[in-house]
Amino acid sequence: MRDVTHSRLLCTIAEHAATSPCKVALVAGASRITYTQLVHNIHCAAGYLHSRGIKRGDYILLSAQKELEFVYLYFAAHLMGAINVVVDAAAPQERLDYINGIIHPVAAFGAGQSDVAQSFTSFHDIQLDLDAGKMEYDSHEICSTDVADVMFTTGTTGNPKGVCLSHDNIAGSASNTNGFIRTASNDIEALALPLSHSFGLGRLRCVLMAGATLVLVSNFANLKAFFNVLATEQVTGFGMVPAVWQYIKRISGKRIGQFADQLRYIEFGSALLPIQDKRLLMELFPHTRLCMHYGLTEASRAMFIEFHENQDNLNSIGRPASSLVEVSVRDENGLPVGDGVDGEICVRGNMVSRSYFLAHDNENAYFGDWFRTGDWGHRDSDGNFYLTGRKKELINVGGEKVSPVSIEDAIIGTGGIQECACVAIPDPNGVLGEVPKAFLVKQGATLTVDEVKQRLSAVLPTHEIPVQWEWVDSLPKTSSGKIQRQKLKQ
Amino acid sequence: MDTQVKEIIARVLNVDMGVITDNLSSGDIPEWDSVGNLAIISTIEQELNIEFPLEDLFDLTSVQSIIDEVNKLLNA
Repeated sequence: MRDVTHSRLLCTIAEHAATSPCKVALVAGASRITYTQLVHNIHCAAGYLHSRGIKRGDYILLSAQKELEFVYLYFAAHLMGAINVVVDAAAPQERLDYINGIIHPVAAFGAGQSDVAQSFTSFHDIQLDLDAGKMEYDSHEICSTDVADVMFTTGTTGNPKGVCLSHDNIAGSASNTNGFIRTASNDIEALALPLSHSFGLGRLRCVLMAGATLVLVSNFANLKAFFNVLATEQVTGFGMVPAVWQYIKRISGKRIGQFADQLRYIEFGSALLPIQDKRLLMELFPHTRLCMHYGLTEASRAMFIEFHENQDNLNSIGRPASSLVEVSVRDENGLPVGDGVDGEICVRGNMVSRSYFLAHDNENAYFGDWFRTGDWGHRDSDGNFYLTGRKKELINVGGEKVSPVSIEDAIIGTGGIQECACVAIPDPNGVLGEVPKAFLVKQGATLTVDEVKQRLSAVLPTHEIPVQWEWVDSLPKTSSGKIQRQKLKQ
Repeated sequence: MDTQVKEIIARVLNVDMGVITDNLSSGDIPEWDSVGNLAIISTIEQELNIEFPLEDLFDLTSVQSIIDEVNKLLNA
């Protein structure tokens, strides 16, 4: 590959192509792409982007689809210094409009149904250009600290926040993760997680950095099909969020245990996973590395815990992912607190984002170079970290972070409710971890709960619609009028 | 009954009825993910007053297989 010193990830992929040219990197349906072909196609995709007038520093919107063209374009942008903004093209129109409005992308690729996504150049059309083998592009003067990706996360105030990740950040996260999980070149991983999330996109980078094989799977919905992939491709690892584990248990019982001997690792995303589930997983997979990460898009995979190695403290969120990651518990003034004392969990290291896309989002986001996670917890004397609460009020619905403010705005937007507040409650069905509950103020209400729910179904995804509703006389508020959601959870 | 089941699936997934063909399987469209699948199962159980046996859930992978299972339970 031409000058790619700015990207350790691309350098490593190029090394795999040189040392194992026929090794399969990607499997998508009937297509099997070797590392040699992958590198060639990334070059072609860079040439294609160049032919579209795209240059270093330009933003491109990429629809997160499990297509080979997505992978080529994603890395091609890194190669030539363009910046990926990976989005779920099926996301609510409002979210896409917001992202589009602040990013001002020069091009958009993929497919989608919303108004913004309709302007995307489809992957199918791009394939024709890739086949033509356009190779011209410029990759001079790109630095490893340049922004490679902007990932949008759910903000507490309702608007998504753009997290700027440099080439160093994404390579650092991948190498930290591979070091802990021990993903190796002889691994074959099934990727059923969405690529629009930090976890799924991170797995793509980890597998290719390790020189392993990645099998693209649409999602976990059809477990029969997923298990078939595990069997036919002889898969040795995959990633899932705790809600998927609950889904697997509910739909397939303990059938997944049949793959215990071939699965060398499973990575879990950070969310509530009851201790009894961790023990069940250890029983079903006695020889598999069961690795759960703690992290955020801003500080991907900051900590890890492996269940078998921590049987006595399974309620811990683990320890720093590598020697290049530091975790510190700090008080409200940013000063470190002692072991056993609760404070805000702060992280610094090779994978931590240096800034948000919009400058005002950086306010109160850091203590010096320590990123503030917004999570509360403590460290024990052995160096294990524990979560005790969440300062940020996001609702984690099966791995999807939902802003209570966006639900409240939608409820007010129905026109029949004057005031309301939403909080996270444990999923009564025990599947999604958390689900939203809405408190509606009686005064001024002109709609029934059923009518509100019906109107919400037109504007919110199903998982954002509250599953419990309660009428109240008033909402608890601070002296400045801010709703105290924590009090509603008590 | 076939149409009623399809209407429920379309409503839960928030897609047009035309998308819900007999051969459509879970995972074929982005809307039919694991959360959507659970919502389909619970909505059908509530609205048709039936309960899918746990051991059968693994095989409910397509519109047709769900229709067949509903018919089996209603005729049992």
